[in-house]
Amino acid sequence: ICATCPGSSVVNMAAQQGDVDELFDVKNAYYIGSYQQCINEAQKVKPSSPEKEIERDMFLYRAYIAQRKYAVVLDDIKANSPPELQAVKMFAEYLSSESKRDVIVADLDKKMAKSVDAANTTFLLMAASIYYHEMNTDAAIRTLHQGESLECMAMTIQVLLSLDRVDLARKELKKMQEQDEDATLTQLATAWVNIAVGGEKLQDAYYIFQEMSDKYSSTLLLLNGQAACYMAQNKWEEAEGVLQEALDKVTSRYLSQLKDAHRAHPFLKDYLAKENEFDRLALQYAPTATA
Amino acid sequence: MLTKFETKSARVKGLSFHPKRPWVLASLHNGVIQLWDYRMCTLIDKFDEHDGPVRGIDFHKQQPLFVSGGDDYKIKVGLLTGMKIVKIYHNENEWSALISYVSYFFLLCSVLTGHNHYVMCAQFHPSEDLVVSGSLDQTVRVWDISGLRKKNLSPGAVETDVRGISGVDLFGASDAVVKHVLEGHDRGVNWAAFHPSMPLIVSGADDRQVKIWRMNESKAWELDTCRGHYNNVSCAIFHPRQELILSNSEDKSIRVWDMSKRTGVQTFRRDHDRFWVLGAHPNLNLFAAGHDSGMIVFKLERERPAYAVHGNMLYYVKDRFLRQLDFNSSKDTAVMQLRSGSKFPVFSMSYNPAENAVLLCTRATNLENSTYDLYSIPKESDSQNPDAPEGKRSSGLTAVWVARNRFAVLDRMHSLLIKNLKNEIVKKVQVPSCEEIFYAGTGSLLLRDTDGVTLFDVQQKRSLATVKISKVKYVVWSADTSHVALLAKHAIMICNRKLESLCNIHENIRVKSGAWDESGVFIYTTSNHIKYALTSGDHGIIRTLDLPIYVTRVRGNSVYCLDRECRPRVLTIDPTEYRFKLALVNRKYDEVLHMVRNAKLVGQSIIAYLQKKGYPEVALHFVKDEKTRFSLALECGNIEVALEAAKALDERSCWERLGEAALLQGHHQVVEMCYQRTKNFDKLTFLYLITGNLAKLRKMMKIAEIRKDMSGHYQAALYLGDVSERVRILKNCGQKSLAYLTAATHGLDEEAEALKETFDPEKETVPEVDPNAQLLQPPPPINPLDTNWPLLTVSKGFFEGAIAAKGKAGQMAADLDMDTSGGEGWGDDAELQLDEDGFMDAPEGLGEEGLGKEEGGGWEVEEDLDLPPELDVPVGAGGGTEDGFFVPPTKGTSPTQMWCNNSQLPVDHILAGSFETAMRLLHDQVGVVNFGPYKSLFMQTLSRGRTSYLGLPSLPCLRGHPQRNWKDCGAKQGLPAVGLRLSDLISRLQQCYQLTTAGRFEDAVERFRVILLSVPLLVVDNKQEIAEAQQLITICREYIVGLTMETERKKLPKDTLEQQKRLCEMAAYFTHCNLQPVHMVLVLRTALNLFFKLRNFKTAAGFARRLLELGPKPDVAQQTRKILAACEKNLTDAHQLNYDPHNPFDLCAASFVPLYRGRPVEKCPLSGACYCPPYKGQICRVTEATEIGKDVIGLRVSPLQFR
Repeated sequence: ICATCPGSSVVNMAAQQGDVDELFDVKNAYYIGSYQQCINEAQKVKPSSPEKEIERDMFLYRAYIAQRKYAVVLDDIKANSPPELQAVKMFAEYLSSESKRDVIVADLDKKMAKSVDAANTTFLLMAASIYYHEMNTDAAIRTLHQGESLECMAMTIQVLLSLDRVDLARKELKKMQEQDEDATLTQLATAWVNIAVGGEKLQDAYYIFQEMSDKYSSTLLLLNGQAACYMAQNKWEEAEGVLQEALDKVTSRYLSQLKDAHRAHPFLKDYLAKENEFDRLALQYAPTATA
Repeated sequence: MLTKFETKSARVKGLSFHPKRPWVLASLHNGVIQLWDYRMCTLIDKFDEHDGPVRGIDFHKQQPLFVSGGDDYKIKVGLLTGMKIVKIYHNENEWSALISYVSYFFLLCSVLTGHNHYVMCAQFHPSEDLVVSGSLDQTVRVWDISGLRKKNLSPGAVETDVRGISGVDLFGASDAVVKHVLEGHDRGVNWAAFHPSMPLIVSGADDRQVKIWRMNESKAWELDTCRGHYNNVSCAIFHPRQELILSNSEDKSIRVWDMSKRTGVQTFRRDHDRFWVLGAHPNLNLFAAGHDSGMIVFKLERERPAYAVHGNMLYYVKDRFLRQLDFNSSKDTAVMQLRSGSKFPVFSMSYNPAENAVLLCTRATNLENSTYDLYSIPKESDSQNPDAPEGKRSSGLTAVWVARNRFAVLDRMHSLLIKNLKNEIVKKVQVPSCEEIFYAGTGSLLLRDTDGVTLFDVQQKRSLATVKISKVKYVVWSADTSHVALLAKHAIMICNRKLESLCNIHENIRVKSGAWDESGVFIYTTSNHIKYALTSGDHGIIRTLDLPIYVTRVRGNSVYCLDRECRPRVLTIDPTEYRFKLALVNRKYDEVLHMVRNAKLVGQSIIAYLQKKGYPEVALHFVKDEKTRFSLALECGNIEVALEAAKALDERSCWERLGEAALLQGHHQVVEMCYQRTKNFDKLTFLYLITGNLAKLRKMMKIAEIRKDMSGHYQAALYLGDVSERVRILKNCGQKSLAYLTAATHGLDEEAEALKETFDPEKETVPEVDPNAQLLQPPPPINPLDTNWPLLTVSKGFFEGAIAAKGKAGQMAADLDMDTSGGEGWGDDAELQLDEDGFMDAPEGLGEEGLGKEEGGGWEVEEDLDLPPELDVPVGAGGGTEDGFFVPPTKGTSPTQMWCNNSQLPVDHILAGSFETAMRLLHDQVGVVNFGPYKSLFMQTLSRGRTSYLGLPSLPCLRGHPQRNWKDCGAKQGLPAVGLRLSDLISRLQQCYQLTTAGRFEDAVERFRVILLSVPLLVVDNKQEIAEAQQLITICREYIVGLTMETERKKLPKDTLEQQKRLCEMAAYFTHCNLQPVHMVLVLRTALNLFFKLRNFKTAAGFARRLLELGPKPDVAQQTRKILAACEKNLTDAHQLNYDPHNPFDLCAASFVPLYRGRPVEKCPLSGACYCPPYKGQICRVTEATEIGKDVIGLRVSPLQFR
């Protein structure tokens, strides 16, 4: 890094201040859905130790995955890369190719059957991500249960919420809050739980997303969260405003790519399933007489 | 105590504030009198006219005069003009050593006769004819001087009278009578003063006591004594506005006493200087005290109100109340009462809009004793008697919100604590050295240390950026927090979010406050000005101020502020100047132009400004003066304008400069003109040569010949390649040999011969012709250049267009729109609307409902999606391999399941995704048997039922379930939010009507049907809305039946009479559908025409009358009346039709025959359309979804219908 680089002074300053997470910007950008910024920060930061370097790479590659640039991840992570990165690669492989998924999951099942290095949080996270994609929530939660990192807890909360277990999600959130209430992940998880709880909590959830937008940058993830809160409060016009802002961030070309890329989006999955169901059910009704 | 200003000088024995200007007079022990400006902190003037100490000094209350009295027994009167002491009046009488501080000072000598020792001090009562004096005889005396008053010597008469007075004999002994003698001091009295409004006197004496006395008409008595000073009290005065007494003493302290409690409130000490005198400003909260080595000007407490602005609300503290001012409505209410207990005013405030909570910081004299209070503002309050909620108080220098539920506290150890809403410490943060903290958006703080400000991230616990600026006092963020203004005592720095300094402004006068206006200009105040600063650093004065104000908000030309009495005020400013500059910086020339045209900004200063700031092209358009215009035009290379100006000026130097500039641009026509005007023939000739303009070149040759310019003539000939001309010239100028050689070389033999003959063989030799000579011939121009050099097309600057189109305002407006219209989003929308086949003002609502199939394009985005074929949604495999330790949780109840349990309304079930039950409900309630038409409605509704939002990246997203009763449903009683409202459907009717009017019946029917089918998917709250929903169905049915029939009719043949009769019948039935008048007019006209043609005049007349009753347009009415008149001549029907206008009937929606009252009829359970009995069991033609004659529960659109 050169001394004149913007940001280098920040890094220096951070280094002087002891208990500072040197990868904060990298992680934070990733969690709030600012993937390109995450990548930029990761490429800029100079990790102080090999462990930090791996951690940095982990977020770097996961940001690429979030951007659907699987090829970068698959090419960059070699067979001799550390196990953490291998896990990331596994996830990238899973997402990149639908045909290989069964094989990957079977492989993963085998690995999980053996004893797993619980210290390799990355592996747990990636494994749980795959199970969650497979809608195998049991396996996902079981996997996450072995980890203790904030992100494991956050993911557990997400899985629990998708199971409509708000009660358990709240308990898990409490654990997160005890560990670090002000962490970005804890804040985000608080917002998710608040949305699920509803009522007055919706406004709190909104504030969390909005504060983060204010503080960092308004990413699609954060705007989407704001819109969800607005809609839950029946504030449709406000929601439209936020969504419009989100749309403005995405060029129309990119939007059509998204449509294509998001065929597996749960929303669309449901939509199609329901459409078929409709057709099937509609057949059960007929007029008594025909003209 | 806040020191505003200090001077260094000899001992100060007398002081006086100017009542209006920021001046204070100090009279010194060494005879000098100084005039200070305490705001600018400068010595304005001084004069040295006394010998020895000057103890008495006073400004005149109205006039530019002051008076001084010295131990030299002299009185001087100074006259001030502007800021100079211009004249001193001397008076050479014998005065007592000590003189009072009054405007008509000279009378007091007579008063002195009552005391038994030196009079140390004397003073007039502010309103009554009384004088109080203190003397070393240990008494204070009050004198009645009404006798003197009678002598008609008004205080205002000073300067005219001064000279004439030559002695004390003006005043007899009876002029001042002792009224009261106040005895109580044990030593000599140094000072006595009246209270400004109450009958009180305060005195200070060498017995180290301050005494308060009360008096009435008949007597005066001692009230109380303030003890505390431990040396001679030199001066004691009442606070002009508060219940306080100030005294100072030779013990080197100033003390403030509470008048009612008679206890000391504050003490201010100096190390080495004894205090001698005190002075109070007559109007402001300012005091001055003179001591051994100078003077201090001070305030007892800060006058800056604590306030915070959020959105349209100002929160501020006034008199122990937190008040809220709505900027829009100007409603000012007290929202809560503050906990009492602190003798110090609230220093600063931080407001949290999310929690509606405030942090109020209070600074103590000893900083370590400072505290803050955390209050939750009551939701509702009675402004007359607001609640006094229990606040949470802790010690700390400053407290500032850093997040919705967190605030930072700088404690007295200067470390940073983060606390939650319960005022509990959440964490401690190590910070770099820091003496003050400021708000800096969520999760951040600005930390101030001795020489800079640091942006600190509280969460990451690290510094992000630092900027050097000393002693920042206030920080003002712009609304979007993109910019911040750091205010120090005499400096302002504007930075961006990253704390990069954008500009630095130095002020000579104290900077007081500031706010960002909506256009991003920082408006700030100093003690005496409102000023502006652009982020580019440009700054200037907007207006002057009499008194300091604290700006709270700036909107348009209003500056909202609080004054020192904490009153909200609105000042008007003229924002033109900074708006103009801002518009220039942002290159918003339309605004610039508008301002120039409307605000009469044009002036030399503006032009100079524009030129200086690099906007010559802008300035050009405002300049009237041709000379300036010319140079500006050249500066920005605008040849046309320069030419215009040059023509007007017509000066040689202009043409020359223009020529050069034009040449650079290849504008050779202008160059030519310039050379012509300046008669620069050489250059002109050369210009014609290089542009290949032979004709003009030849002309130039002729001109040169006429001008007898041989050289020019020859050159032109050379350029032209005109050899014979050259020969001629050479011959004529006597260069015979050259002429001969030229002719010979070029093969002009005849001429060569002729020339050769002129040589005198005796004296001259014929030169040798070089056989190898090469001819010097200019190449002929291939193509004469008669146009200017091509220039790149430059889009015309805004001004060129705008100025050219002066007066055509409309055109300009259009231009502006083009310029300003922004992002792609708009463009797309606009296109979308155009695509929508013309007739729409298309609210998007219609799109939602899935009319997409017909309209295509922009109607329904989802339809365009390339949906993948059936996706296998894997079901959670579940845990076969239990490990015995951890049991994964089972699935909980989703909100959608609750919805189904909680509601019997079909739409709730669709939203819940339970199509099965939804279909059953629709089947049972309104008899739907064909769900085909409902498919898109179902799918649309379903998609509205949930939101998706991202949890962790790269994971399937999370679901939200918007509920209509979210506020109070709890966990179990939820019902889905229904996007479709009755009013939406009703508004959509309008479009159907428009389609109908346009004659696009099939489209109209399609949309009426969607509305009709949507009605069972409504949820309404009251009976009236239920009725309206039913009415909506009826309207749709009537139109669908009528329009379908009309469509059908148009398809029928009309060849035979029977066929024509059927057409007429159907047209007649149509007139019985319940339509809007505008449509009924059309329907009736059709029927009228058909029947008239069929010669069924009687029925036609009926239609005509009905038509006229509807009040059609005049031309239609006229036509109708004509037909009616024609019909009435022969009121018969030529043909018998199946139509009886007088017998009420329903229309069979399938066969389009009348079903007269009493005949059996089958109805559609949803639309209520009527059918002949044979159609029972079939699909309703109107809804295309329901079964005719089906037995059903009925339409259910409200929970009310289930009670």
